[in-house]
Amino acid sequence: MKDVLRAAGITKRFAGIVALDDVSLRIGEGERVGLIGPNGAGKTTLFNCLLGVLAADGGTVEVAGRDVSRLRAHRRARLGVGRTFQRIELFPETSVRDHLLIAERVRRGTGRLWKDLLGLGRPTAEETRRCDEVLELLGLVELADAPVERLSLGQGRLVEVGRALMTRPAMLLLDEPSSGLDRAETMALATTLREVQREQGFAILLVEHDVELVTSFTTRSYVLDFGRLIAEGPTGEVMASDAVRAAYLGTYAPPESATARTATTTRTATTTGTATTTGTATTTGTGTATTTEEEAR
Amino acid sequence: MATDSSSVGADFLRAVLQGAPPGAVYALVALGFVLTYQTSGVFNLAFGAQAYVSAAMYFKARLIWGWPTVWAVLLSVVVLAPLVGLTLEVLIFKHLRSASAVSKLVVAIGLAVALPNLFDIIASFKPASGVTPVGVVPGGADVFYSVFGLYRFSRNELVDMGVALVAVIGLGAVFRFSPIGLRMRAVVESARMTELNGIAASRVAAFSWALSSLFAGVAGVLIAPRFNTLGSSDFFSLMVVAIAAAAVGSLASLPLALAGGLGLGIVIAELNTFLPRWGTDSAWVRTVQDNLTPSVPFLVLFAVLALVPGIRRVQGAGDPLAGVEPPPTARAGRPDPRRALAMRLLGAVVVIGGGVVVLTRGDQLWVYQVTQAVVIAIIFLSVTVITGTGGQISLCQGAFAAIGACTVYQLAVRYDMSVLVAMLLGGLVAAAVGAILSLPVRRLGGIWTAIATLAFAYFFDAVMIKLSWVGGGAASLLRGTAVPRPTLGPWDLSHEKAFLVFAAVVLAVVAAAVVALRSGTFGRSLIALRGSEVGAQSIGISAARTRLTAFAVSAFIAGLGGGLLAISQRDVNYGANFTPFAALFWTVLVVALGSRSVPGALIAAAAFALFEPLVLDGAVVGWLTRERHPLPSLFPIDGKWLFILFGLAAIQFARHPEGLVEYGLSGRSRPARPDRPRGRRSPNTDSAAAGDAAASDQRPAMRGNRS
Repeated sequence: MKDVLRAAGITKRFAGIVALDDVSLRIGEGERVGLIGPNGAGKTTLFNCLLGVLAADGGTVEVAGRDVSRLRAHRRARLGVGRTFQRIELFPETSVRDHLLIAERVRRGTGRLWKDLLGLGRPTAEETRRCDEVLELLGLVELADAPVERLSLGQGRLVEVGRALMTRPAMLLLDEPSSGLDRAETMALATTLREVQREQGFAILLVEHDVELVTSFTTRSYVLDFGRLIAEGPTGEVMASDAVRAAYLGTYAPPESATARTATTTRTATTTGTATTTGTATTTGTGTATTTEEEAR
Repeated sequence: MATDSSSVGADFLRAVLQGAPPGAVYALVALGFVLTYQTSGVFNLAFGAQAYVSAAMYFKARLIWGWPTVWAVLLSVVVLAPLVGLTLEVLIFKHLRSASAVSKLVVAIGLAVALPNLFDIIASFKPASGVTPVGVVPGGADVFYSVFGLYRFSRNELVDMGVALVAVIGLGAVFRFSPIGLRMRAVVESARMTELNGIAASRVAAFSWALSSLFAGVAGVLIAPRFNTLGSSDFFSLMVVAIAAAAVGSLASLPLALAGGLGLGIVIAELNTFLPRWGTDSAWVRTVQDNLTPSVPFLVLFAVLALVPGIRRVQGAGDPLAGVEPPPTARAGRPDPRRALAMRLLGAVVVIGGGVVVLTRGDQLWVYQVTQAVVIAIIFLSVTVITGTGGQISLCQGAFAAIGACTVYQLAVRYDMSVLVAMLLGGLVAAAVGAILSLPVRRLGGIWTAIATLAFAYFFDAVMIKLSWVGGGAASLLRGTAVPRPTLGPWDLSHEKAFLVFAAVVLAVVAAAVVALRSGTFGRSLIALRGSEVGAQSIGISAARTRLTAFAVSAFIAGLGGGLLAISQRDVNYGANFTPFAALFWTVLVVALGSRSVPGALIAAAAFALFEPLVLDGAVVGWLTRERHPLPSLFPIDGKWLFILFGLAAIQFARHPEGLVEYGLSGRSRPARPDRPRGRRSPNTDSAAAGDAAASDQRPAMRGNRS
């Protein structure tokens, strides 16, 4: 499977504090991958480094095989990395449709100042049609002309998704989409996302600490703690692993049992051939081998 | 001055001593500035106006009422200065706690325009010509004390330094040792957090406003003797120097602001000492040297912007609880379509009817006034682009317009080019300058754009305009900067009414272009960027490139308008039209009336050119009562009211960034107006109030909570 995103050895320091320490991850075409970890683990920092919002101190990021480590955020976005925000970032004083229209125009790259001046900068019928398709896909048709200030948080998240979809992303990075939503809203959002993803086939990286959402939504997960990857593998197994439990709950897990259990799971499948042993979990000091990547279903 | 001693070292030391007293005053202002900015988040551009108020009060009490110095100081500095600060805090800024830094900046700009005029009227103050402001010690400017045989300090200078020293030590002590100082430090850290710990942040903010205003008062009274007559614009430029000093410490550090102020004073003195030795032959160097005081701050400021990479984070790294603040946006409601149509028809009728009346029956004076309004409207549309659509505050639109005007003068007069071609080229030159100027600030945004453009405006005012290839230099002093009127095919535009029609056509074209830009890719990108920079980036919009374009487009329009203004007046007339302080009022007017829409800019231009002759001079009332001089006891009203009214109107920007025009248009009967700030509630019907409640329920939903 081709990787849409591959990050290797990402390191980020803030004034001496190591926020990310040699983090590597990859996301295959159409995969749904989770990135979990307790508060302060470095999830958002990693996210921002992947997107180019923050410049990493070390490591490389590749999008569809192209090294984008030196590109700014908007260039990466044009290469097919869409995103949503934990704290919603919509454009005030514009309508829902406006959000999608400008994204579509930027993707097409047909905007020119002279065209604007001649009055040719208005949305074309084709652009409007494509926006309406996405609005329909997300169930936002009735809100198309509503100013975004009227939307609820869940609807706002959907608008962000729609805006990102207009860029025809190869992958979508979702930053804690459940924050501020109740269970029902979260599940509705997840359902919509899954349907849209099935239809369009982009990959998803879900940053989240709602364990239930991650478990139900993703096939594979990475676990960050104190800036290090402490586990990766099929979501179900990762969630069950002692290292993750230890990181989340702070319980002490005896080193032997942890390694023993992961040893059994790592046998099963080897796509990359490397059983990545990502060091020691920092909280408890338990040695934890991680489960290897498994073919995404 | 430096001829008696040949030693470079002695000259150097002498310049240090010479620069210390003005440096001390800059430091005072810079300290007050940082204090306000840090404790209340207000980038207080009205600080200079506050200094002026105290200086003028002292002048009035001391020289006109003949009070003794002590009482005059007590009144102007100890009583009036903190009172002004407290009033501003209680009446205005207290209610804008959650507004964005840029909105508060605009409010302060409005105050900077309104306050001095308000004081002049209330205190019926007129700086008497021929009476020079005096210092607080007798013979302050005439009695000297020699220090090490190097430099002779005047009494005034010693007082400057002494007061600054006392003030700094006092401020340090308050911060370090007093309970209120501890609270102030806490508020600096996070106003919200402080409140959650049971401290009334508003009381702390009030105290710090009073304290920083005291600094403004002290600085104003101390600096006044350096001017021949008191004028509020001088105090504004003093403040620009202090801003550069404050920027040395990234607007955050009091000690660095102090060092910056002293350093600036000394650097200016050093350059004054040493520059003449190096470059007496070059006219350029001499021009620079003549105007060091305003140009050094500009250079310092841009050096800070270019060399301190962390400055961007300083701005954002304010309150750890900032994420919890409610969103500051006050949305322009969708206007009720029928009402909007009615207003549009009314506007068309007024424009066409007014045009017909002026063209057929207007005498020369009225044709001139209306032409002014039309030309100024073009310049104001540049504000519509950069501030209304782009959300950035540019305070150098006057410089851009002057660049257009000077290009017309240079090309048409000196190189005999067609005036109209020169006008277009003037726009292009201004656009190029705007694009270059945007380079250092386009990634910073926010208040840094305002600061940098203000510094550029003063640099242009002090240095550029005096260069022979810009403003004409010595030649212009002798022969003026006259600009001819063009002929366009069969129409001779030296005929006033023909020119008015021509100007109206240009205005219509520019207005149509602004509307087209806004609904096109550029405008939509800019509006997206204004709303959320990270959001815009996430769909591939380049913030840097879009802002650069915005600056270039806005500068082009301003340059075009400036050129046309010069052609209209047949003269560049820099001092009357384009000075930074005059251009400040442009921003205030457009913002007050509506920077978001073309009608807003048009009405602002009408107000600029016609409010005084129509309303304040009583023409309208005269027409209504059919009397040539109506109510002689009332009219003409002092022209200063123009500044006061619109300066105060700009205050509502923080709540209604759409301006008075659109706010009036949008009507009050809409079901929901989200984000109406709490507090002062306009007299609403019950249904609208219910709508408000519903809207505020939605508020937390919009931004969500950081978990």
